[in-house]
Amino acid sequence: MCSSSNSIIQAQKLVDQLQIEAAMERFKISLTAADLVQYCQEHRRSDPLLTGISASSNPFKDKKTCVLL
Amino acid sequence: MPCTWVMACAYAPSGCAVACGGLDNKCSVYPLSLDKNENLAAKKKSVAMHTNYLSACSFTNSDMQILTSSGDGTCALWDVESGQLLQSFHGHAADVLCLDLAPSETGNTFVSGGCDKKANVWDMRSGQCIQSFETHESDINSVRYYPSGDAFASGSDDATCRLYDLRADREVAIYSKESIIFGVSSVDFSLSGRLLFGGYNDYTINVWDVLKGTRVSILFGHENRVSTLRVSPDGTAFCTGSWDHTLRIWA
Repeated sequence: MCSSSNSIIQAQKLVDQLQIEAAMERFKISLTAADLVQYCQEHRRSDPLLTGISASSNPFKDKKTCVLL
Repeated sequence: MPCTWVMACAYAPSGCAVACGGLDNKCSVYPLSLDKNENLAAKKKSVAMHTNYLSACSFTNSDMQILTSSGDGTCALWDVESGQLLQSFHGHAADVLCLDLAPSETGNTFVSGGCDKKANVWDMRSGQCIQSFETHESDINSVRYYPSGDAFASGSDDATCRLYDLRADREVAIYSKESIIFGVSSVDFSLSGRLLFGGYNDYTINVWDVLKGTRVSILFGHENRVSTLRVSPDGTAFCTGSWDHTLRIWA
């Protein structure tokens, strides 16, 4: 008796949660994906790992060429 | 630390304190000081209390609030000063392994990933789960928001990283290769969001082109599994931590 009312409560919670999620406004992926691409393009220049750092400002650049003895 | 395993740590936004926790089921905050003579352990403040291990913690926009996730299946928001529980987040059916806060200042959401293969997006004020994604085939070890906040990536024991778009409410990309069979322990984006770095249990780091879905490069160097990975705030390098007892910085 107690367990069946528990499972009813649980099921009700699940239904409530699903209703909340179903009511969410969704956008078309074609639009949102375009936004993601645009964000990448816009910030391309400010991403050092993408565009690299000039040799003069790179603290880890090799100072001398590698010499094989 | 009073317990054997520390599983999570986080810097406060001001840089003046550190929060950490693990198998002791708690999250403790230590104020930092450059004074070598100060006994920092004495100033420790226990903020969070869970009923199972602490898997991740993160300060919110200020030093005053901490978000934690735990093996007890819940996430919780705590006030650092009083140690009071401000909000709890129930919805995962198993251990919650990771969390990440939305990037914008006005954002009040965070995403969590768990052993129930689900990634949930939560409203921090109401405690409500607003979106849920279940496409992974195994535990989700790491979640990270895309820099714009409109998407997030996840890394899982099923050897894939996936990108989920929040406004379209669906998975949009899977980053995997048949040759990659080991789980992903940690993921992070480069500053522009074009690159996704994944630390894997086969000791490598795979770099993925987020937009094309292809692997850009594979990095070798660690002698044991990569357990954590984070891109630096200025975006010029990223650091990986591994079971081989080393932290390596890649630039």
